[in-house]
Amino acid sequence: MNEKLKDIQSDAENAIAQALGGEFISWTADSYGNEYGWLRLRAPEDMAKLAPVLVGLDARLMTITAYRIDKFARIEGREIAYHFDLDGLALTATIALTETPPQIPSITRWFANADWHEREFSELYGITISDHPNPRRLFLDNELDAGVLDRLVPLSTLMNGASTNTLWEKVFAGKQMPDWAKEKDR
Amino acid sequence: MTTANTTNTYTLPVGPLHVALEEPMYFDIQVEGETVRGVQLTAGHVHRGMEALAMQRNYLQNVTLTERVCSLCSNSHPATYCMAVEALSGLTIPERAKYLRVIADEVKRIASHLFNVGIMAHLTGFDSLFMHAMEVREIMQDAKEGVYGNRMNLGQCVIGGCRRDIDEETAAFLRGQLEQLKPQLDELYGVFERDPLIRKRTRGIGLLPLAEAKRLAVVGPVARASGVAYDVRRKAPYAAYPELDFEVQSDTKGDVHSRALLRLREAVESVKLIEQCLRKMPSGPVCTEGMPAVPRGESVARSEAPRGEVFYYLRSDGTDTPQRLKWRVPTYMNWEALQVMLANCQVADIALIVNSIDPCISCTER
Repeated sequence: MNEKLKDIQSDAENAIAQALGGEFISWTADSYGNEYGWLRLRAPEDMAKLAPVLVGLDARLMTITAYRIDKFARIEGREIAYHFDLDGLALTATIALTETPPQIPSITRWFANADWHEREFSELYGITISDHPNPRRLFLDNELDAGVLDRLVPLSTLMNGASTNTLWEKVFAGKQMPDWAKEKDR
Repeated sequence: MTTANTTNTYTLPVGPLHVALEEPMYFDIQVEGETVRGVQLTAGHVHRGMEALAMQRNYLQNVTLTERVCSLCSNSHPATYCMAVEALSGLTIPERAKYLRVIADEVKRIASHLFNVGIMAHLTGFDSLFMHAMEVREIMQDAKEGVYGNRMNLGQCVIGGCRRDIDEETAAFLRGQLEQLKPQLDELYGVFERDPLIRKRTRGIGLLPLAEAKRLAVVGPVARASGVAYDVRRKAPYAAYPELDFEVQSDTKGDVHSRALLRLREAVESVKLIEQCLRKMPSGPVCTEGMPAVPRGESVARSEAPRGEVFYYLRSDGTDTPQRLKWRVPTYMNWEALQVMLANCQVADIALIVNSIDPCISCTER
């Protein structure tokens, strides 16, 4: 790691520790020597303290990841990981969502590009974003339930679709339609 | 730019299926006469739920899945995914594999950039230039077919290295393709730089000033053409890039024309990178023996795809499938910049400006 990145790393550690009062970043490195910082916040409100500090450090929001702490939902709980870039250093700040239903304040006032990321995890994981300037759906149609990535829909349920008799009436047009095809709400 | 509410405006729907769009996206455009006053994007027509699928596939199967996120950036996705798995597993790939990964990435970059500038020529109505750009691109398509056996998905990346080696005979073939490409690439750059029709139609439109590029955190050629000289290959080097000599291309004009020229200059740099790899590549294995179990934990990996930074976040619960696999494609970061680029442009320029961010809708929506 070059001197410039070392300075950025140390500035980030100091500024974040000062803003959050004792939070510390742990660092890992990949085989190419790139450093990755990991920070765990205590409460969703801490993001409002961290975001302005990161703006001051000229950070760029790369993306936001929402996930269940157990992907099969055997244990209840969701977390959100915010991924920032500090001119080559990657910093991930993770927050556990403690409220039911899960909610988190928007960070769009500090990072304009959080708009799409927040709307996406909101619709896929059913997480409510407060103070979002544009809280409409991003990818999913309004008619679909929120949180579709959050629950398991077995294939057998998906394929157990109801249909009318129209298809069989056409297939058996002019012929004797069998009793099974006459059943309603197939 | 927000939707205007004046009595003189009317709505012009563009998409989701439109002749100027390669993929479906809906633009609700407010126009006043021929001038765009507001635009609202509606996405989601090709949302595939791939991230949900990735959580049900094992680590090996996800190499194949991620290669299908995007066709033009198809090598960048498995490469970055493999980097995330390797980082979490503490796996170091062999030296030769690092060079092989660069070759695959740069071959794809040349083909991708030529495709984009070709489409730009088509949208200006200069179809003979479009066909010429595609013909030049065909040299790289043939290179891909000759080296990897495929013209789009190379299937080169595996966890721990690469699938195929490049032997002397194949290297000579690839060098031959590059020799064929170089003069044509230079000629093409000259046409795109100097042709009066191209200049008239593409200069000074779709402007994205530096401050807006930073505010919206755009990536790739879109950012670099606006003065944000950020290239992951230099800022957070990976594979063999630390050993290779290349110039990060940047510009300050931030218009459609400068983005196209920047892509062409990057293609020239890519040729140099491939040549260096073929020259400097050490002998040895191309992949590690076997793969260790992926431990519980999390990792981040990123790379510079043709359209910009690709980001992967992997979270493992210690099983053979990811607890969460999240990726963010470059185009995802660039859509909102269209609000700035399209402000007050002419209706006839909409398609040109949209194309200048090199949009990939399938990979945005995954």
